[in-house]
Amino acid sequence: MDRRKFLKTGGRFLAATPFACDLLVASVASASGPGAGRWGMVIDLRRCPEGCDACVKACRRENNVAEHGDPRWDVHWIRQVEIRPHGQEDAPTRTVPLLCNHCERPPCAQVCPVRATYQRDDGIVIVDHHRCIGCRYCLIACPYNARFFNYRENEAWPNKDYPKRSHGVAESCHLCAHRLDQGRLPACMEACRDAGAGAIVVGDLDNPESEISRLIAANSVKRIREDLGTGPKVHYIGL
Amino acid sequence: MSGDRKSPLDGNLVKVVFPLLVILAPLGLSVIGAVSAGDPGAEEPFLELPPEPNEGCVRDAEFMRFHHWELLREVRDQVVRGGGRHEISLDRCRSCHPSRERFCSRCHEAVSLQPDCFGCHYYPADPAAAVDHARAGR
Repeated sequence: MDRRKFLKTGGRFLAATPFACDLLVASVASASGPGAGRWGMVIDLRRCPEGCDACVKACRRENNVAEHGDPRWDVHWIRQVEIRPHGQEDAPTRTVPLLCNHCERPPCAQVCPVRATYQRDDGIVIVDHHRCIGCRYCLIACPYNARFFNYRENEAWPNKDYPKRSHGVAESCHLCAHRLDQGRLPACMEACRDAGAGAIVVGDLDNPESEISRLIAANSVKRIREDLGTGPKVHYIGL
Repeated sequence: MSGDRKSPLDGNLVKVVFPLLVILAPLGLSVIGAVSAGDPGAEEPFLELPPEPNEGCVRDAEFMRFHHWELLREVRDQVVRGGGRHEISLDRCRSCHPSRERFCSRCHEAVSLQPDCFGCHYYPADPAAAVDHARAGR
């Protein structure tokens, strides 16, 4: 190769480098699961039958969520709670399924001293249980009381394909990230559909064509304690 | 004046050297004993290996023997923080080494290690259960 040829080829390589880097970054972003977008949930309370706990049970079974039969130790990733408008003590209560809101600005992740709780690129707030030191700051920080602590060892292990958590770590709903990464639906959504209600819809909030985006656009949705500025991503219809 | 001064060891001979000897003597004796008797050391744990080497091995045996925990730790962080849990799983280990008790635990027990992986990750001690699980899951 003569000098001229060498310089020409080298120049081409140099010019192409930024594009190659862009390609690399783009492929990594899309490789981080179906979470290229931003996962969110809609719960249509009009379709959520009173007394049904299909989602709660399915979640427990799928994620090996501990149930010791004692409210002090029980862990809930999704549970039925009675809520009323903020500051109105006399207002009638309403039962709604409550779970981790996967906030845009998650207080639990902000306070975690070891960064065990973090937000994935697709917006799911998740705990790295290997790193959790059990300080329980996140339990205090979460305005939704969606975080729970494993005060005891959980012996039940219904789903062997998914790990349980040991005594001494905090946990909450992770929107079935392990299932979403495989292109499957979260257990609660699947159970809700199987029960014939179809009240829970999980999908990509960034995609205007997705079912969840259309539901949000077509209905009046509310999020719990929006005033706190955490940017919750669980939307309720009919609240 | 200088003639009166004792050598630093004189008064301390009984106080320091003798107890030191008493303390160190068993150690020295055991080393001498071990060397002279040709002590083979602790017995090497017997691992039950698959009948034939599988092509699906993650790395060769030599690497795994000395670095499997580093590999597991690295892969763990990669999978937990980066996603793709379903692509990498202990199932791959279990398919050839079905019994944790006869494989992992033999060495861990021999060197008195208690890794807490299996409190949360399924890897049964009983191979029959593992095979059933692998069949049901796949």
